[in-house]
Amino acid sequence: MKKKILLAAVAFAIGAGASFQAAAQAKPEQLVKQRQSAMALIGWYFGPIGAMMRGDRPFDAAVVARNAGYLEVLSHMPSEGFQPSTKDEKTKAKPEVWSDKAKFDKAMETMQGEISKLAQVAKGGDMGAIKTQFGATGKSCAGCHDDFRMK
Amino acid sequence: MSQPHHPVKVWDLPVRLFHWALVALFAFMFFSGKMKGNWMEWHMYSGYMILALVLFRILWGFAGSTYARFSSFLAGPGACIAFMRKLLSKSPAHVPGHNPLGGWMVLVLLLVLLAQAGTGLFANDDISIEGPLYKFVSKDRSDQLTSFHYYNFYALLALAAIHVVAVVFHVFVKKENLVSAMVTGIKKLDPSTEVPAVRFVSSWRALGLFVLALVAVILIVKRPF
Repeated sequence: MKKKILLAAVAFAIGAGASFQAAAQAKPEQLVKQRQSAMALIGWYFGPIGAMMRGDRPFDAAVVARNAGYLEVLSHMPSEGFQPSTKDEKTKAKPEVWSDKAKFDKAMETMQGEISKLAQVAKGGDMGAIKTQFGATGKSCAGCHDDFRMK
Repeated sequence: MSQPHHPVKVWDLPVRLFHWALVALFAFMFFSGKMKGNWMEWHMYSGYMILALVLFRILWGFAGSTYARFSSFLAGPGACIAFMRKLLSKSPAHVPGHNPLGGWMVLVLLLVLLAQAGTGLFANDDISIEGPLYKFVSKDRSDQLTSFHYYNFYALLALAAIHVVAVVFHVFVKKENLVSAMVTGIKKLDPSTEVPAVRFVSSWRALGLFVLALVAVILIVKRPF
């Protein structure tokens, strides 16, 4: 049993190290694709929750919980694609992403925290509570879009 | 200037209600647009209301009371220059309706507001909300219009600031209280001011036109063709 855990830990460490290295070595255009794909998926799973909260779509607690669960994982992906090597790629990312990295990282963390809360609240299935947390989450997305994304 | 000013009613109730409703909604749009999150839902409703108000005001510019009509306040370049001279001189520059410069400001503000509300219908925030007409354009087009919506707001803000500065100038330098006039409808004009006959149109007609504008907006927003 202990051996298995150790093995898993080693495998995880290698895996994590590998993915980290991959991000550092990947071509800039691949990194851009990585983060844009992650963002597209986040939008894909976040959008329907919004439509339900506004009454544009019937409320379905199971779909909200499923989507929020996906989002919790997805929320950790985009930051990996914002490597300094992508600075000169033609995207909507402002140079401040790298020149004000501390603020950018903080905004990313805030978003991850809010999405994590959303996933928690979504499990409860209470629409009012979900709507409140949905608003807070949307605001945290805007936290980056406002300051680090070209209009 | 020692002669008593004579009060003349110039602004009908619809013009005044339109003006102050617009001020309140404009402030709310600024606030809700910055707040994001669930405020965006109300940002959209409030935007529909502004669109209806602006459409109403354009109709009222053709079918309203004397001084609500575009024909009464869109002056030619000669009149504008003459008025500017008057403004810079020490003599009073009282005008019963909109003055020649203010008249053009009304038109510009209405058009820029129309552009702002119109582009908002096609906008998206790339987070969770889209304007009601977003589905009729490509994502790229929507992004362009969203960008316009973003920058055009600052144009609106600048115009509103110029408007306010001009009003302050009229109140304190030219001694013409335009603010109270927009509240009560009554201007206290210098006796030397020529005041042509004013014809007031029933507020019921205004209500009818506003409902018409509102229905048009609801049709655009809720069940597009």
